[in-house]
Amino acid sequence: MRILIALFALFAPLAAAHAAGNVSLSSEVFVEKTKPDAQGKPVVSLEPPAVVTPGDKLVFVLSYKNAGAEPATGFILTNPIPAAVSFTAAEGDGAAVSVDGGKSWGQLAALKVAEANGTSRPATPADVTHVRWTFGRAIAVGEAGKLRFRGVVK
Amino acid sequence: MTRSVRLLASASLAAVAAMGATPAFAAGTTAGSTITNSVTLDYKVGGVSQTQKSTSDSFTVDRKVNLLVTEVGSTTTSVSPGQQSAVTAFTVQNLSNATIDLALSATQLNGGTGAHGGTDNFDVTGVKIYVDTNTNGTFDGSDTEVTYLDQVAADDSKTVFVVSNVPLGRSTGDVAGVRLTATAAEGTAAGSVGGTITASTGANTTDVDTVLADSNAGGNTQYDGIHFAEDDYTILAASLSLSKTSRIVSDPVNGSTNPKMIPGATVEYCIAVANASGSASATNISVSDTLPGATTYDSAFGIKINGTVTGAVCNADGSAGGSYASGVVAAGLTDIGAGVTRTVVFRVTIN
Repeated sequence: MRILIALFALFAPLAAAHAAGNVSLSSEVFVEKTKPDAQGKPVVSLEPPAVVTPGDKLVFVLSYKNAGAEPATGFILTNPIPAAVSFTAAEGDGAAVSVDGGKSWGQLAALKVAEANGTSRPATPADVTHVRWTFGRAIAVGEAGKLRFRGVVK
Repeated sequence: MTRSVRLLASASLAAVAAMGATPAFAAGTTAGSTITNSVTLDYKVGGVSQTQKSTSDSFTVDRKVNLLVTEVGSTTTSVSPGQQSAVTAFTVQNLSNATIDLALSATQLNGGTGAHGGTDNFDVTGVKIYVDTNTNGTFDGSDTEVTYLDQVAADDSKTVFVVSNVPLGRSTGDVAGVRLTATAAEGTAAGSVGGTITASTGANTTDVDTVLADSNAGGNTQYDGIHFAEDDYTILAASLSLSKTSRIVSDPVNGSTNPKMIPGATVEYCIAVANASGSASATNISVSDTLPGATTYDSAFGIKINGTVTGAVCNADGSAGGSYASGVVAAGLTDIGAGVTRTVVFRVTIN
């Protein structure tokens, strides 16, 4: 009986979140490894982050799904770049980046980084602190998708 | 994989290709660090903002062991025969993302081409390794003899001197190649060299795994946790040659006109010391000459030193110097550079 209660306790918050949230979200990371195949040609593969060392290329995959009974609107995914990761690129409609800790957003090419001497320079991928996807449309019931961005382990 | 992901994947590859090579991070994120990616989702249902969703995932950064030994400068170390404590300098870098010990060894080439050309044809002696303790880049008395570098922090580098003695009897252009090899060792304990680091084999563990990442530059084997660089000593010796000429200056009968070698005649000796071109400058040169029998040193003329020759002809010039005692003329000469000749000139009378 005790076990049953414990199990119920475990599932209860999950079930509640599901009912109220009705949208699921997950983050996964993969390491891009390049290895030669039998013919010696380099083959790029994405592997789970088993062995990760500085300089490795990472692909972050964010998965979402509207598991609820109604369409979801105002859909905004925000992902701060981990401090030990240098951002390289993001993909997906509506992807915007921030180089100032999430205060301002835009396309990388339009952003500037203030220098200590008062001047500013064009932002580079390494300056990116956050990436954000804003969906201008509703996410239909049952719709799922994945978004990715890339980085390198500092 | 959904359709949208496929599209993203192709876009992502294009974006990365456009950006070129991976940026270089030296040692990078410390081994054992956890990288956590957090993502949040804001959304509305029925026009009403819902509770923000967030999720995260983490992984551990493994230990990437990389080390690099490079020669300081790009020229051979020019040495003289018999030189003591001749120094070649190397930089040993820990490019790992963890603190490690670096075991050091200095070995000598056995034949083959030296790091700066020439063929290795002799060995130096008494090879020792010192670390530049006071980090002034110069080998001096405060530097410590070592066999390993203790607990070198990530991204730190040390200047290491290989110091050895050059045997006598070598000639200009002889080459002795030396190799400094560093081996990555566990840096957990201070004051002693740890065990050699090996790469983790088998499946990834949740602990910190070890990856060896050293390069194959300069004849090294990659990913073996060992890196070496070579430098060489090249002999630059002085190449001195000695010649002695004489001429008759005067005799008691003919004076200085067509003098003959008769008793009482004055004879001038010229000792020329020449240093071949391309040689090292010769220093501390002393010349001594025992007078022939049946001659008497001309103390009125004295000794002229540091004179010149023109072609093979002694100019009998120079300044007063040297000394005469007990039938021996002795003179110390100024340093003789490559391609320079200096002379010692004195006179005797025939008894």
